[in-house]
Amino acid sequence: MPKAQKVEKPKHFKKTLKILVSSLKKYGWAILAAVILSIGAAVVGIFIPRILGDMTNIAVSTYPEIDFGAIAGKVWLTVGLLLMAGVLSYIEGVILTIVSARWTENLRNQIIDKINRLPISYFDKHKYGDTLSLMTNDVDVLATSLSQQITNLTSHIATLIGVVVMMLTISVPLSLVAFITLPISLVVIGKITKFAQKYFVERQKILGELDGRIEEDYSGELVIKANSYEQTAIETFNDVNNELARAAGKAQFYSTLSFPATHIITNLIYVAVAALGGVFVVEGKITIGGIQAFIQYVSSFNHPITEIAQTMSTMQGMFASAERVFDFLAEEEEEADPESSLVIEKMRGAVEFHDVCFSYDKKTPVIKNFSAKIEPGMQVAIVGPTGAGKTTMINLLMRFYEPDSGYITIDGVPIREMKRADVRKMFGMVLQDTWLFSGTVEENLRYGRHAATLEDIKKASRASNAYHVIEALPKAYKAEISEDSDNISAGEKQLITIARAMVAEPPMMILDEATSNVDTRTEQLIQESFEKLTKKRTSFVIAHRLSTIRNSDLILVMKDGNIVEQGNHNELLKLNGFYAELYNSQFAG
Amino acid sequence: MFKLFRFLKPYWWQTVLLITATAVQVYTTLQLPALTADIINNGIVTGNIDYILQVGINMMLLALLSAVCSIVSGFFSARVGASFSKDVRAAIFTKIINLNLADLKNFNTASLTNRTTNDVNQVQQTMMMMLSMMIRAPLFCIISLVMALKVAPDMSWIIVLGVITILGTTISIMSFVVPKFKIFQKLLDRITLLTRENLTGLRVIRAFNNERIEKRKFEKTNDDLTRIMIFVDKVMKLMNPIINFVMNGATLLCTFIGITLLTKDFAYLGNMSAFAQYVTHVMMSFLMLSMFFVMLPRANVSAGRINEVLKMPGEIHWKEKTHGVPEKLPSVEFRNVDFSYDGAEEKVLENVSFVAKAGETTAFIGSTGSGKSTLINLVPRFYEATAGEVLVNGINIRDYAKEDLMTKIGLVPQKGLLFSGTVKSNIIFGAPEATDKQMKKAAKIAQAANFIEKLPGKYNARIAQGGSNVSGGQKQRLSIARAICKNPDIYIFDDSFSALDMKTDAKLRQALEPVTRDAAVLIVAQRVSTIKNAEQIIVLDSGKVVGKGKHLELLKKCKVYQGIVKSQLSDQEFEKEMKEAYA
Repeated sequence: MPKAQKVEKPKHFKKTLKILVSSLKKYGWAILAAVILSIGAAVVGIFIPRILGDMTNIAVSTYPEIDFGAIAGKVWLTVGLLLMAGVLSYIEGVILTIVSARWTENLRNQIIDKINRLPISYFDKHKYGDTLSLMTNDVDVLATSLSQQITNLTSHIATLIGVVVMMLTISVPLSLVAFITLPISLVVIGKITKFAQKYFVERQKILGELDGRIEEDYSGELVIKANSYEQTAIETFNDVNNELARAAGKAQFYSTLSFPATHIITNLIYVAVAALGGVFVVEGKITIGGIQAFIQYVSSFNHPITEIAQTMSTMQGMFASAERVFDFLAEEEEEADPESSLVIEKMRGAVEFHDVCFSYDKKTPVIKNFSAKIEPGMQVAIVGPTGAGKTTMINLLMRFYEPDSGYITIDGVPIREMKRADVRKMFGMVLQDTWLFSGTVEENLRYGRHAATLEDIKKASRASNAYHVIEALPKAYKAEISEDSDNISAGEKQLITIARAMVAEPPMMILDEATSNVDTRTEQLIQESFEKLTKKRTSFVIAHRLSTIRNSDLILVMKDGNIVEQGNHNELLKLNGFYAELYNSQFAG
Repeated sequence: MFKLFRFLKPYWWQTVLLITATAVQVYTTLQLPALTADIINNGIVTGNIDYILQVGINMMLLALLSAVCSIVSGFFSARVGASFSKDVRAAIFTKIINLNLADLKNFNTASLTNRTTNDVNQVQQTMMMMLSMMIRAPLFCIISLVMALKVAPDMSWIIVLGVITILGTTISIMSFVVPKFKIFQKLLDRITLLTRENLTGLRVIRAFNNERIEKRKFEKTNDDLTRIMIFVDKVMKLMNPIINFVMNGATLLCTFIGITLLTKDFAYLGNMSAFAQYVTHVMMSFLMLSMFFVMLPRANVSAGRINEVLKMPGEIHWKEKTHGVPEKLPSVEFRNVDFSYDGAEEKVLENVSFVAKAGETTAFIGSTGSGKSTLINLVPRFYEATAGEVLVNGINIRDYAKEDLMTKIGLVPQKGLLFSGTVKSNIIFGAPEATDKQMKKAAKIAQAANFIEKLPGKYNARIAQGGSNVSGGQKQRLSIARAICKNPDIYIFDDSFSALDMKTDAKLRQALEPVTRDAAVLIVAQRVSTIKNAEQIIVLDSGKVVGKGKHLELLKKCKVYQGIVKSQLSDQEFEKEMKEAYA
């Protein structure tokens, strides 16, 4: 059954090919060997029908006293050739297996490495599903294509050439008859594929539309039901579904047409050769063994042609995948750390912003000329409505993003002059998004300080109120957790991330108070441990709770991505500006 | 997988035609080698050119017939395949749309979408391959066998030998590889998992400077994966050369044995190559069958996922006509209502009773997991109460016809869910007969008119899939307008104002006042400040009603409510509130 043709095409074929070739350079000799072996195996295989034909000829010419000695010789020769072809193609297969496995292993490592080197901004702009699909789909496509397609192509070309040569040596006129049909079959197949292609494209388009509709309806099912919209939804779905069935049916049908088309052409040659060959044999221009071999060559003559066409279209998909992977690997990385970086000998925790300007897109400023001096041990609250850009401050402090102008210092040292790792080491970070990796609780807690002892971990979890949650788990600290594990709630996960930050014993803290998805009791536990965390440490809190805000030494009020006001609670209230409005509407109600 | 065969039923005659055409095609194809043998034996050897041409014409006709049959079978195969997947898709979609929401909770949207599209495609492909192979392989096998025995019965043992070798090779390689394949799949899943973790945990990994450790962890798994892949592939790559050897070897054997038999009967000259072709066909069909059993498990997984959806019970049965006469004034009443999910021991709601009256706002508050969202889902019968009664306008909701109940309810969900179409089609989603004036009025009350007027095309502006081209706040306002446009008796707001800024929120509440004056309003809220003025506040904790009353009353008598208020206000603020309560 013919496969659905891939619609996908690479955009920069030459460039991609160049990178692909250069990335394979290391395996150049192995690939060359594989190619030679595959050609060898193909050529060896080509001789088989010829020898079988010779056997018949010997039998016929020596009939009825058949020369079994000569025939047996041919038999052993054939067995030998068959074994040789088998061994050659197996060695070729193994070489390519190893090459493609190692090559894709390297590619996967490069991708993961790249993920951790790209600036955070890359991932704020790209869906992570796209990056994930590089690893899961594209590398997979490359692995299978590489181990199969390259030698497929060479061996089919070798077979084709070999078969043509063999046919010509048997009988030139018969060969010409066979070759005449070749352009016909190419044209017919080309026409059919083009026709089918049209419907494949249409099918793909409708499929996309249907996908979107299904997703939308499933996620909005609540609304559909509440408005008695089910019947209409089903009717609309059926319309698109019917369209899809029509296009898919046509695409499928036209693509299957190429099979009978080639089949009928092959048969045509077959009959013509048999008939004409019969006449030639009678006239003594060709032997019976010759015609036998020739018939076999005819049937293996069309095969490589369709195979080559197939390989070409698969390779197109391979190039599209390669292009995506290489484009990703060529993305600009985070600027390297300065060679001679500064270090802070004894941390005090004084943070200063000097005229910091920042924008995500270099056009709309998010932070304008922001200056602030934060003394060691101070608590800074960042407040504002949802979407005001509160996380921008965290991004700048942690050097996930760099300011457009101005600079930030810690204890007088500009963080830009430090190693990123050194800057990040100074902060403990607890985000709303409670990321834990799959592994045991203990491994997760140790994530910030790998040398921590079990005692340290237990101490930190006690201090962060995570102790009871962890103890309640089966196997406690050895319990396995994962991204989507449901044995612990979101609030409990947050407690564990707080404990994780505590294990690391950072001199400064960055916290994001979670508001939703936490029950009242857990929320109190979290608040308690937040207070412990921020005590005596310079800390930055994205604050939602009034108590946190009121206790802060400095409040940064953000609106539409700008810091509109700063000061402490009383100062800001007196200002009677945005903060006062926010405070009155949200907290005083 | 086989359960899904019932979807072929409406197309049975097309399937029969498909099978017949395939059978004829196989039969005609298999006649050709015999005819070639005939040409060699009776034409070439005897030098009878007329005979050659005559048989040649016959062969041509057969080839034509075979081609026609293969076109016919291709046509029906494409049609049946497309119709089959269309029907399965429609069945899943209809099922899911009609399913009660409590049962849907076990699946996420992505998984359901996948089942409706990818899984159906997977099953369709295998189904069609299966149909064609299940017809073709046995037919090829049987007809080839018959033909082979006819042309050269003495050589039949070659067939047995060939089949045994082929089956032996495939089975031993597969039984060796398949268990390893499971390990391979596990490692591959782990690669995906680790990649996803690296992506979702980007900030945390960098904050803790653990890029290297993540890399090492990944490289370890990657290396394991590569090793097992090389191992599996090395074994798998044996398959082709061996099969090639066996196939060619069989042809060689046929030729050799044929030649030795020539002394007995010269007809073996033509017959041996015909026989060799039949042997190849027989071996090929066994190979096809064994491949089929390798493919089946994958399709079975997809089929299993589809059946899982299709066999879910959970459809709610509605009355054809509403029984009883509803009261004039809107109201919602819960009488000792329990709710638990299917098969779950724990009750999500327990013995909940209250009355929400017309012109009043009834608010629900409680921590996550207290059951407040579940509670409001019981009103439009999205979930079915496991015990007790829910009454709307004085009639048990089980006695309503579906449409009658839904027209009474205006629901605004937490997320502003929109549908592709226009602004207008979204607002009149629940009231298709609404006039433009009514629609615009609804938009105005929902504070959406301002931004709509600025859109290109205004009320006819396009809304993209899921409303992705409007902001969160705009989505929420449009979905509020959608509820208002229905002019319902009962409004249900499920934390619906969260994406609005303070000013819009205040304006909207003010504009809502006259519209909801005669309606019963149910509000689920996170913040105390949003519901302080409600006529009735119901405090939920672990599915039970632990407090009922007005703000100040609850502050005095309800501990849970105090806790919630305390967590949202500062100590001073809280004391002020308490003073007010006791004043």
